[in-house]
Amino acid sequence: MLQRFLDPTVLAGISGLDLVAKTVVDGFIAGLHRSPDFGFSQEFAEYRAYNPGDDLRHVDWNVYARTERAYLKRYRGETNSQLTILLDASRSMKFGSHGVEKLEYARFLAASLAYMASTQRDAAGLIVFDDEVRNYILPSSRQGQLMRVMHAIENAQIGTRTNYAHPFHTLQEFLRRRGIVVLISDFWENPETVIKTVEPLRYHGCELILFHLLDPEEIHPKLRHPVLMEDLETGEAMEVSPDYTSHEYRQKIESHIENLKTRSRAAGIDYFLIDTSRPLDEALREYLAIRKGKM
Amino acid sequence: MGFLSPWFLAGLAAVGLPLWIHLLKKHKTDPRFFPSLMLFEKRETSSVKHRRLDHILLFILRTAMIVLLALLFANPFINRTVAPGQGNHMTLVAVDNSFSMRAGNKLQQAKDEAQSVLNGVKPGTKVQVIALGSQVQTLTQPTSDLSEARAAVNSIQPSDGRSSYGELARYTRTLAESVKTPIEMDLVSDLQKTSMPPGFADLRLDQSTTLVTHQIGQPSANYTVENVVAPRRVYDPKHVRLQAVIAGFDAPGAKKTVTLLLNGKSLQTKTVDVPENGRAQVEFLGLDAPYGFSRGEVKIDSSDALAADDHFLFAVERTDPRKVLFVDDGRKPLGQLYFRVALDASPDAAFSMEANHPEQAAGQQLSHFAMVVLNDLGSMPPGFEDSLKKYVSGGGSVLIALGPASAAMPRVPVLDESIQASSYAGREGERFFTVSEIDTGHPVMRSVERFDGVKFYQAIKVTPAKSKVLARLNDGTPLVLERQIGEGKVLVFASTFDKLANDLPLHAAWVPFVQQSAAYLGGGGPEQPVNLAVDSYVELRSGDAKGSAAEVLGPDGKRLLTLEEAANAKNFAVRSEGFFELKAASGRQSLIAAHADRRESDLAVIPKETLDLWKATGESDQNAGGGQGSGDQSDRKPWGLWPILLLLLLLVALAESVVANGYLRPQVEEEKTKRKAA
Repeated sequence: MLQRFLDPTVLAGISGLDLVAKTVVDGFIAGLHRSPDFGFSQEFAEYRAYNPGDDLRHVDWNVYARTERAYLKRYRGETNSQLTILLDASRSMKFGSHGVEKLEYARFLAASLAYMASTQRDAAGLIVFDDEVRNYILPSSRQGQLMRVMHAIENAQIGTRTNYAHPFHTLQEFLRRRGIVVLISDFWENPETVIKTVEPLRYHGCELILFHLLDPEEIHPKLRHPVLMEDLETGEAMEVSPDYTSHEYRQKIESHIENLKTRSRAAGIDYFLIDTSRPLDEALREYLAIRKGKM
Repeated sequence: MGFLSPWFLAGLAAVGLPLWIHLLKKHKTDPRFFPSLMLFEKRETSSVKHRRLDHILLFILRTAMIVLLALLFANPFINRTVAPGQGNHMTLVAVDNSFSMRAGNKLQQAKDEAQSVLNGVKPGTKVQVIALGSQVQTLTQPTSDLSEARAAVNSIQPSDGRSSYGELARYTRTLAESVKTPIEMDLVSDLQKTSMPPGFADLRLDQSTTLVTHQIGQPSANYTVENVVAPRRVYDPKHVRLQAVIAGFDAPGAKKTVTLLLNGKSLQTKTVDVPENGRAQVEFLGLDAPYGFSRGEVKIDSSDALAADDHFLFAVERTDPRKVLFVDDGRKPLGQLYFRVALDASPDAAFSMEANHPEQAAGQQLSHFAMVVLNDLGSMPPGFEDSLKKYVSGGGSVLIALGPASAAMPRVPVLDESIQASSYAGREGERFFTVSEIDTGHPVMRSVERFDGVKFYQAIKVTPAKSKVLARLNDGTPLVLERQIGEGKVLVFASTFDKLANDLPLHAAWVPFVQQSAAYLGGGGPEQPVNLAVDSYVELRSGDAKGSAAEVLGPDGKRLLTLEEAANAKNFAVRSEGFFELKAASGRQSLIAAHADRRESDLAVIPKETLDLWKATGESDQNAGGGQGSGDQSDRKPWGLWPILLLLLLLVALAESVVANGYLRPQVEEEKTKRKAA
């Protein structure tokens, strides 16, 4: 079937972030025929015969009433699972070459994920960081939580440079409960450092997903003349020739992405690269399809 | 090498512009932001250096464009030595056939000299022959056929015109612009000093023109009748006074016999002593002329070289005094009295006045009167105004005085201008109007001394829609108005002829005003003078007159006008001496006597220094640019370099476009590739 994906620049024209999320999520869920196996929440898996010692709370009393046999209802995952979105708001996220900045795209992505969790009544939380934690909303499934998260995402401002070590050390204090942690960043850092910094979250039993956002100009820079490049975060300037960007840089960025991907897999972390020129719903659909295959 | 406009070289300072664009501006590079430079490496060689080298050619081309442009405006030239006679040139043979060439056999000598000039012309060289009188007469177009040129020289006839070297110089300048080849002008003339123009600049020759003079004859003593003053009309033969001026040019004092002839008959002879290089005046009293036109002549016995100027023609007309109809209702007898006295005061008694009541005047045959005077009429008898209008259209004239009675009328009769009101000034406290504006060039206003001291107490305000105002009072009221209607004229005096509305009749200006008005109006058209110089123009018809034919009979009795000229020509140019019978379009006939310009009688020759200066006018143009003064200046010609510079500029501009396009092309192709990929 034909799927009409949403251009990021079109999404940027929509004023409300909640409306953006609703448009994206409803669109691709409709495209997936509302499969019950998708999503981050607890999913029904199977029935199991009751054994002594099992928690009676999990007995399905409806089945017992019909069959007079006690069965336990089993789920994939835990009940009351929580989703925490870590949004990188460092200065490098301000970059955008085709009308949508990376931070804006990251906002759409975060809002869409939060909306999806909300529709499944999972608790959703948000942490905005650069080299410090700038905003933190505890995961909750209370009424109005989605609006709070949306508001926080909307108000996420560009900060300074990225430093994963300091904010993640703080985050570990907050993320004591198991759940799903989504990290949205451009990961302009040594892949080894990134993985080492985020890996400890796995030890708390959290499922970690890295969304690597990159602008097409970052993947394939196009220069006509030698130009003076200035680092958005450090302010360092360097003269770059077209010849370098078309050969050596491309190899290096591919190597950087591959390195990040490999190290993530090795650490049991989901990694997904998103080109910000791609439609968001298409990217999400592809990612969830990959997750389904894993499950 | 030199520059005609060296100050434009200041434009070379603009070379700094490409210098700034190519060498200074490129150092300013706007940085491009990138999320992280962690994957970039520093390079050893700066690419900016490469770009600077790439643009050197463009920089050179742009600089060259500016330099060439500045040089082009500065108009550089180099002096090139041209051997005399090298290349194409044209020989212009100018033969003087003016009145002074009638002296002896000067014209024949001039023609012989012109033939010898033609004999020296190389075959194939273009030649043009012109005759130089008051105007340049082109006898041949530039031609290589020498036989045609020789025939043209032989055909030259003496004229009565006055030669003008200014006219000759103007003709050669025009010719030089059209033929674009060097011109050698051979002037065959007696080189009269009086033929020089007032300003030496008028003699300027084009830089490609060389003047060679061939003087004919030598200056000699010459006596002439320089001028004759005679009345145009003779009313009483006994009271005529005729004066003649006898002049000697470069001549010793001599006793001359002066004879007055009328219609070929000798009337009087007098002897006069003409001083050396001076003038003497002879006066003849009485001129027994028959009725009608007479041909007069004053001649001297002289045996000088130029016999043609020993007589002077004049024309007179014997006639009875002309009648003036003075229309007056009898209530203002003073006005009639003053006007009659002023008219009778004329020494030649040209007019006789007849006073009539308006009703009586309406029955008169108006064409019998030279002019009609309407003295402050309050009303017009039926049909009288129409008769007056018809009379004026046919060439008659009317003088109208406006006063208290006229103020009641809505408009001025015949003149057809509306009467606004009456302007009053009280006699008390010296309150009066005076004349503030006056057209002193008009024949009526010539000797009225601007009406100085005349006080006007009342004037009728007339709105001058179609009329010309000749005089105006200090409150702006038009005092004297004139309007041409058909062949006739109407003159309006916006006050009365008595001493009630003004005190003009008590002033000296009154008599000349009345007499000049009568002469102007009673003459019935533009007065032709008693004699004219050759090349003068006489008027055949005024602007409005059409339909009726004019006629001119020459000294030999032949008609001089073609049918078209007779029907349409406004003027006629008198080209030779003699008597011309003229019938104007208005029907008025006159006899014109024409004489040669007496400046031609002075046979003094142009000084050599002046001639050298004239010859050098073309050469001075050549030297102005180069600033060189060597002996062979006439052979050095400035040669402008602008065509070469212009060509170079075009080539450089083309090269700049190609090179600049080469820089831009990769960008355009990149854009196209990007679009295709999209």
